Amino acid sequence: MDYGIEVRDQEAVVRLRGRLTFNDHAKLRTLIGEMAQNPARRQVLDLSSLEFVDSAGIGMLLIAREEMANANKQFILRAATGQVKRVLTVAQIAKIVPIED
Amino acid sequence: MSVEPAVRGTPDGLESARVLVVDDNRINRHLLLALLERGGITLVEQAEDGQDALTRMEHFKPDLVLLDLMMPHMDGFEMCRRLRADPRWKALPVLVQSSLNRAEDRARAFAAGATDYVTKPINAVELLARVRIHLRKRALLRDLEQYHSRTEAELALARNMQVRLLPGPDRLAELEAATGVAVDAHFAPSSELGGDFWGIERLPGGRIAVYLVDFSGHGVGAALNTFRLDAICRQVGTTALTPAEFLAAVNRRLCGLLPSGQFATMLTGLIDPVAGVFHYASAGSTAPMLWLPGDAAPRLGDGTGLPLGLLPSASYDSRQMPLPPGARLFLYSDAAIEIPVGTDVLDETGLAAMIARRIDEPDSGRLLAGLLEELRATGPIDDDLTALLLTRRG
Repeated sequence: MDYGIEVRDQEAVVRLRGRLTFNDHAKLRTLIGEMAQNPARRQVLDLSSLEFVDSAGIGMLLIAREEMANANKQFILRAATGQVKRVLTVAQIAKIVPIED
Repeated sequence: MSVEPAVRGTPDGLESARVLVVDDNRINRHLLLALLERGGITLVEQAEDGQDALTRMEHFKPDLVLLDLMMPHMDGFEMCRRLRADPRWKALPVLVQSSLNRAEDRARAFAAGATDYVTKPINAVELLARVRIHLRKRALLRDLEQYHSRTEAELALARNMQVRLLPGPDRLAELEAATGVAVDAHFAPSSELGGDFWGIERLPGGRIAVYLVDFSGHGVGAALNTFRLDAICRQVGTTALTPAEFLAAVNRRLCGLLPSGQFATMLTGLIDPVAGVFHYASAGSTAPMLWLPGDAAPRLGDGTGLPLGLLPSASYDSRQMPLPPGARLFLYSDAAIEIPVGTDVLDETGLAAMIARRIDEPDSGRLLAGLLEELRATGPIDDDLTALLLTRRG
C-alpha cells in the first residue's frame, strides 16, 4: 500500500493505493501520525484506488478512526469499490465510521 | 581498534571463550598464548599439528581455532577440510595464521573451509581484533540459535493447545452417530498459530450448535485471542440462547477486552433437525453456503453484521436457511475468498462456482479435499484457513 495526502482548507484527503494488509502496519501508523498533525478538521480516506483490504487492514482503519476521535477530528471513508466495498458492507463498518460514496 | 588492557577484563564475555591454538612451533604457540591472554582470553588449548588438534577438539570443544598451515603429520588445509566434514564444526570460526602469503595459498585455505586469514609476522592488534570479532559473531549466532529453538518449541506446544480447542475426531464421530450430521473439517493456520477457531456442540432435542471465528490479523496475537474467545463462548453457553442472542452476549464480553484495532468475525448457527432449519447469525463472517439434494449450485446465506469487539451495544439479525435431510452446509474463513485472482480476489461467487462443480460428489471427505486442492491451486493463501463441511444424512 502507498498513499498521498492533499490538504485543502477544511479537509485533508488521503488517497490509499494498492493492497492494505497485515504488512502495512508500520506505514499506517506513520500515516495516522501525519493525519493527526495536519490542521484539517475533516480527515477523508479516499479508497477509490485501494484494491484489497484484509481483516488486519480493517483493524488499522478502526485504529485511525479512534486516533482521529482523540485528536478531535472527523474521520470519513470515501469511494470504496470492489472487494474493499464488499468487506466494509459485510462488516457494517458504516455503523461506526461515516462512509461516503 | 585498540587492545584493551587485560586488567579491565572483557565486558563482552570473552573470558569464557575457548580457543585452540594449532602450530608446530612451540615459540609461536607461546607467543599466541600470551597475546590471547592480554586480550582476556585464558581458556586456551595447544596442539602441535592437525592430527593432534582433531583429537583435542573432542574434549576441548573450542569456540575458535587459530590454525597454522604448514605442519608435519597433518597440515592445516587437511585439518580444516576434516573439521568441516563434521556437522558439529560447520560454523566454528577457523582463523588461519600462516607465513604463506600468496593469493593462491589464501584461496586454498578458504576453499578448505577457513573463516579468515592473517599472515605472519603476526600483528598483535589485528589478530586480537579478528579473534574478538569472530568470537562475538559466534556468541551472537549461538544466542540466536538458542532463541530460535526455544521459540520453536514453545510455538509447537502452543499449537498443540490450540488444536485441542477444536473438536477432535472422537467427538465428531460421536456427534454423527447421535445426530446424523457428519462434519469434515480443515484447519490450517498460515503460521504456527492462527486466529481461527471453530466449535460444535450437541444440544438437547437433537439440536446442534456450531460456530466459526476468525480474529483480525494472524499469528501469536490473534491466537491468544482465540483462547480468550473460547473461554467466553463456554461461559455464555449455547444451550438457551438463539444464535443472534449468543453473538450479542459474546460481543458484550469481548468489547472490554480487545485493544483498539482488533476484532473477530463470527458465525453462529443452530441446526434444528426436527424443523429441518439452519438458524444462524453473523458478525461480519463469510456467507454460509448450503445446498440441497438436486441443487445445481450452493445457496448463499448472508454474513452481514458488525464484527465482535467493536461496539458493545451491537445487535445481530436472526437468519435461517432450510436444512432438510441430505443437505450440506459449508462454513469457511475469509482466507478462502481472499485468494488473489488477477487484480481481484476469488470472492464468494468464485468459491460457490468451485462447489457447484463438485456438488454431486457423494463422499464429503473427497468433496472437501478436492475443494481445498482447487483453492490452493488458485493462488497463494496467506491467511489462516478453516473450512467446515456439515452433511445431514439423507
